[in-house]
Amino acid sequence: MTPNATSELDFPFQRHTLDNGLKVVLHRNPALPLVAVNLWYHVGSKNERPGRTGFAHLFEHMLFQGSANVGTNEHFRYIQQVGGVANGSTWYDRTNYYETVPAHQLDLALWLESDRMGFFLPALTPENLETQRDVVMNERRQRIENQPYGLAGERLHELLYPEGHPYHWPVIGYMEDIEAATLDDVRQFFQTYYTPNNAVLTVAGDFEPSEALSKIDTWFGEIPPGPPVPPVSAPLIPLNGERRTVLPDNVQLSRVYIGFRAPAYGDRRWYAADLLAGVLAGGKSSPLYRELVYERQIAQDVGASVSPYEAVATFLLVSTARPGVDPAEIEEVLLRHVAKAAAGPPAPEELERARNRMLTDYYSSLQKLDNVADLFSQFTTYFDDPGGVAREAGRYLEITPRDLTDYAAGWCGETERVVVTVVPREES
Amino acid sequence: MSRPPIDRRVPPPPGEIRHFGFPPFVRTRLTSGLEVLAARLSGIPLASLEVVAPAGGQFDPEGKTGLAALTASLLDEGTGRRSAMEIATAAERMGGYLSSGADWDVGYVAVGLLANHREAGFGLLQEVLLDPTFPEEEVERIRSQRLAEIVRRNQDPSSLADDRLYEVIYQGTVYAHPLAGTETSIPQLDRASVLAFYRGHFGLAGSQLIAVGDFDPEELVRDAERLFGGVRGPEPALPAAPEIRPAPLPGIAVHLVDRSGAAQTELRLGHAGVPRGHPDYVPLVVLNTVLGGKFTSRINLNLRERHGYTYGASSRFTARLGPGPFSVSAAVETESAGAAAREVLAELRRIREALVEPEELEETLSYIVGVFPYTLQTVGDLAKRLETIAVYGLPDDYYNRYQERILAVTREKLLEVAQRHLDPDRIAVVAVGPAAELEPQFAGLGTMEVGAPEGEPEVAQAGPIAG
Repeated sequence: MTPNATSELDFPFQRHTLDNGLKVVLHRNPALPLVAVNLWYHVGSKNERPGRTGFAHLFEHMLFQGSANVGTNEHFRYIQQVGGVANGSTWYDRTNYYETVPAHQLDLALWLESDRMGFFLPALTPENLETQRDVVMNERRQRIENQPYGLAGERLHELLYPEGHPYHWPVIGYMEDIEAATLDDVRQFFQTYYTPNNAVLTVAGDFEPSEALSKIDTWFGEIPPGPPVPPVSAPLIPLNGERRTVLPDNVQLSRVYIGFRAPAYGDRRWYAADLLAGVLAGGKSSPLYRELVYERQIAQDVGASVSPYEAVATFLLVSTARPGVDPAEIEEVLLRHVAKAAAGPPAPEELERARNRMLTDYYSSLQKLDNVADLFSQFTTYFDDPGGVAREAGRYLEITPRDLTDYAAGWCGETERVVVTVVPREES
Repeated sequence: MSRPPIDRRVPPPPGEIRHFGFPPFVRTRLTSGLEVLAARLSGIPLASLEVVAPAGGQFDPEGKTGLAALTASLLDEGTGRRSAMEIATAAERMGGYLSSGADWDVGYVAVGLLANHREAGFGLLQEVLLDPTFPEEEVERIRSQRLAEIVRRNQDPSSLADDRLYEVIYQGTVYAHPLAGTETSIPQLDRASVLAFYRGHFGLAGSQLIAVGDFDPEELVRDAERLFGGVRGPEPALPAAPEIRPAPLPGIAVHLVDRSGAAQTELRLGHAGVPRGHPDYVPLVVLNTVLGGKFTSRINLNLRERHGYTYGASSRFTARLGPGPFSVSAAVETESAGAAAREVLAELRRIREALVEPEELEETLSYIVGVFPYTLQTVGDLAKRLETIAVYGLPDDYYNRYQERILAVTREKLLEVAQRHLDPDRIAVVAVGPAAELEPQFAGLGTMEVGAPEGEPEVAQAGPIAG
């Protein structure tokens, strides 16, 4: 089978480390007069402790509330008034902050990011914390509690990663923990994790690299390093028995979630798992779509995905039942296809379909400068390897049909799975 | 190395501005009448090919809501040469995404794929556009899928809020119904109606091919002539666009949709806006950006950052051939829903009563102009702009002159268009949440109706209340 797409693109970069430990990646691409500044801090919800879940994310909100030289909400204002976009996001393993601005405003973005990395604490006020607690509680309501099926992902995670595992709780955190956050928590978190030696800064776009490096050193170089970050243990804990739960919700269509664990992102076997997801449910011609949605018409949709976790990933199958269909019927189909994948390799054309779709997806994601910058930060944070951006598509080409079988047989056994079924809540 | 001294107290000065020009594109008509708009975007080996036809939901016949959407979505479900599954297999094996559907203005078929598969993808696009057979069993399958989709949509508070808003503000017009159809209309959409709609709306003359990607546009035009030049497909007379003229609401009309036990309330305020082709459209884009189009807009800073009522609030004028909606959206904590609605109304009044601050105007213009190149990074971004030019009949140099058009907008112009196109006294206020908690909060604001989610019988609980 010959893959019929280019597997390697030209994504040149330079890398440097400042004296304070800040890793810097520079990727020049002058196609548009834009520059993306992207900062990853290697801290996420897995660094939290029970009782303070959701803190990494609440902290991300606080970092937009101003610093010594930047007023409350001024961060967005400075960026938007020059025609830039900015945001941040929090994940299990990391928190990122980014802005894409017209190329001639590189200094502005560097000023803003360095001010909050170096001089955040003087601007911290109880009022800002209070408002952001409210905003985040509303975010939780909007994304989770008032969303059909919103709690299913959370419950699945709790079961896949047993109590005590740092992936056990949701990134957004539990309501009572968000409410409990104090100013002292904010200070301590900042001092522990928001240090230059725990961060990667990527600049991508239209700029002169040597000039940019000297600007970066000017803005960030004087920020003192912090102590090494406390390590987190996130092992693979065998489940030794299926875990399942039924979740009544304000919905009319039942939905089945089946989760397994997968190797860490970056591991060769992770790519096998990702391709298996594509083989099983990627597109209308995939076997799961064909059987559930097209032929038997017992499901409204079906999807499979593998998430890129740094320690232990999740392999997830989700399918929504047609009205009146027993979710057990859907579950039987999903599990049968997983068992089949464990028993023997997929047909070569099935793998070709999954692989070509992955390439289209990955190339599509590379069109946006902010995504490219984010990928450079990701590969540098997790693997100390910015070259991973150019090699990523090739990782999928190395995988053989046999690798998919090995993953399914080794990781998707019946004692290692979690089943969450969302069903319509009985009217009282 | 030794560092030059810096002053962190003030923002650093900008460097030298680099010019940005909208990418050139080719625009030509094939012998079959199909118009082609094609542009090159190199860097990443991708291609996006799309045909849009005057076949949007605005053409749905009375009682057959959802016909446009159903017809377009059936294009890739069977042709003279291939079954639905064979079409999907062909597209997906080359890593392609083939899709078809309709919005209010157009019906479309599109394929996105790696550039080295462009020719095969192009052939598939031609096949599903010109030779669909609408097999009876596929019509039945997609219809039953759409009925189930309505059930799903009615579970979702955000969709419920949008649907109720449109139902209220577009009463008596085609925009009042969901684009995908209703429980009563979908069973009426049989194969004969689908076929008739296809024949009446998917003629090549009157449609446009939008092609963007890592290829030579001239070569693309030659390929297009080979695939679409000689063939004719259906040859309908160009359908005349219907007149869509919603009557203004008599006052503030509050509509509560009861979801008892909901963790939050979905809030919408809105009324009909202007057609995309209206001469005030560009100043309205600026006005909306001040009001609710970005993070630092008035409504978001008020509701989110001043009051903590919500994770985010925004407003928009939706572009359509007819008068698309002006709407404000936010998911708010239930105990503050009434207060949040009043804050939004206050913001609408404020922007109609006083000139915006000079600094606010300057920041907004600079935002819209500055962010323009950022919005043109992908093949999809560029294709969307070419489609806008084609579908709304804008001049070819529209985006070349976009930034100067924006910069020409003044504070006085904003006040003028705010007074002309925003009407906080004749507006619908929709809240989807626990009605018992919401009702007292909205008392006195305007007329009030309390209803169950769509699909269940509506119970009028309160008559007009003097406001």
